[in-house]
Amino acid sequence: MKCRILILLCCFPALIGSAAGQTKKAAHRPPDIQGIWNFATITPLERPTELAGKEFFTEEEAAQHEKDVLERTNMDRRDGGAPADLERAYNDFWWDRGTKVVKTLRTSLIIDPRNGRLPPLTAAAKERQAARQAANRGHEFDGPENRPLFERCLILQGAGAPTTPTAYNNNTQIVQTPGFVAIHNEMGHEVRIIPLDGGPHLPQAMRQWKGDSRGHWEGDTLVVETTNFSVKNSFRGSGPNMTLTERFRRLDSDTLEYQFTVDDPETFTQPWTVEIPLTRTPGPIFEYACHEGNYGMQGVLRGARAQEKGAVEGKKPSK
Amino acid sequence: MAIQELHLMGRTVMSYRLWGWVLVSAAVVVLFTAMPGTSQTSPRTTSQIPRMPDGKPNFTGLWQVLGTAHWDIRDHGAQPGPFLQLGAAGAMPAGQGIVEGGEIPYTPAAGEKQKDNLQNRMTLDPEIKCYMPGIPRANYMPFPYQIIQSQRDIVFAYEYATSNRVINMGKFKEAAVDTWMGTSNGRWEGDTLVVDVSGLNGNSWFDRSGNFQTDNTHVVERFTLADADHINYEASIEDKTIYTRPWKISTVIYRRKEKNAQLNEFKCVEFVEELIYGHLKKK
Repeated sequence: MKCRILILLCCFPALIGSAAGQTKKAAHRPPDIQGIWNFATITPLERPTELAGKEFFTEEEAAQHEKDVLERTNMDRRDGGAPADLERAYNDFWWDRGTKVVKTLRTSLIIDPRNGRLPPLTAAAKERQAARQAANRGHEFDGPENRPLFERCLILQGAGAPTTPTAYNNNTQIVQTPGFVAIHNEMGHEVRIIPLDGGPHLPQAMRQWKGDSRGHWEGDTLVVETTNFSVKNSFRGSGPNMTLTERFRRLDSDTLEYQFTVDDPETFTQPWTVEIPLTRTPGPIFEYACHEGNYGMQGVLRGARAQEKGAVEGKKPSK
Repeated sequence: MAIQELHLMGRTVMSYRLWGWVLVSAAVVVLFTAMPGTSQTSPRTTSQIPRMPDGKPNFTGLWQVLGTAHWDIRDHGAQPGPFLQLGAAGAMPAGQGIVEGGEIPYTPAAGEKQKDNLQNRMTLDPEIKCYMPGIPRANYMPFPYQIIQSQRDIVFAYEYATSNRVINMGKFKEAAVDTWMGTSNGRWEGDTLVVDVSGLNGNSWFDRSGNFQTDNTHVVERFTLADADHINYEASIEDKTIYTRPWKISTVIYRRKEKNAQLNEFKCVEFVEELIYGHLKKK
């Protein structure tokens, strides 16, 4: 017994040492950013040209703007004749894009550059884009590979990375523990795993649709850097060598500020930054089984084949 | 190991005093169990498993099952694979089953359906089409999965088909709709994480041999850390419409220990488009 106590006592300096280190670290205890967050908003990514030079709404302008937008986008209106009715085939029940501008009253989600617009593409990016479009021209309905990624259930609109507001499923659940943060997006039903251990990114040869994310805390802000994107994916024209930096910061118990910066000199003439305040929501998040129920792809291809056979006379595929 | 784990866990969430106490107690336990002559006499301790600050076992990590249950959860001998071109690489290895007692208690009609499933596996097995695998199949596919356990909920992110589920550890929530991965409600029974899975949509199989479930299937899983790197996994399966009694599977889940191990992306949709839509492509 004496021997045991002696061993225990010998350990004390080490224990005290660790404990002292702990008090220093305790000062940097990361805030809790967990929960289900909603990022639906009618504020567009880019500032509309008619609002050029106007970075913020006043409260009154915001209210008027919300009213105008909701009226304009109301899918249940039946005042435009047959062509407009067709465009409104999905009535308002199916949309969940939000009814409010962002809490900051900004007129665009892009906060840098100050004009709220995407920076111009580089010459190389323009060429890349033109070549891609040219290669697909006239083949849009040949097979699934010719269809947009969201129709193939590979990368859903807004599902990122980064995550941006879209027509519905604007919910994300964050679960954190020392060492990891998980970001579970309802759109596309995917979980991004973000290690916080300071380890290196994947080797360059390993490319992923959603890139490879590493995170760390800078004070109260979770900073996530993502690289290793696949050449098959593109965010607003970005290339595989984009570095995406996302920042998550709790503003109050019900608001999480989400910012991201796209740095891709091969595509954009300057980096650009977006800010979206996320609002806490009770959830739940539902499973989005996109591929499992992708009858749309069957319909699109079947329709195109039927048209080629002349079975559907005088009708062209609508997309 | 225990001290390191506790150190990690404690770093951010424990008060100085509580942390100190835990460290001291952990040191005592480790020292005593490490001393010759004492390990046999001490009661078997579970202190060597990683724990959350509140003392609950911590399952955070990258995990994977070894073995051949993904081919057939029942006992099976080695067999040729479906494609002769793949030769030995595509063959099915032999393996002891994970079904307790060996047999799945199908009703006669369900037994016939399983045989039919196996016959028509190439067109019916959801795995081949990159559909979400459901529960329990997701847990023993030949792919890793990441568990992230917070003080509130527990995320399971599976590499196969980027499928996932979040286990609700709060108040029990009824399944709102039927889904591929079901609705998971978790609770603790001592050091065992018990997960009740309901709301399964019935489209999932158990393996590549046509063993199947329905939308009435109810699964209760039990995860118990045997030590820091092994989880004893059990699942009891109940469905009066196709089984004559409840039955159970059990296996071991291993921690992936490579220093660069991480969950990668296996978005298999693009690998199955030719198979699913090939006949609709422009010729």
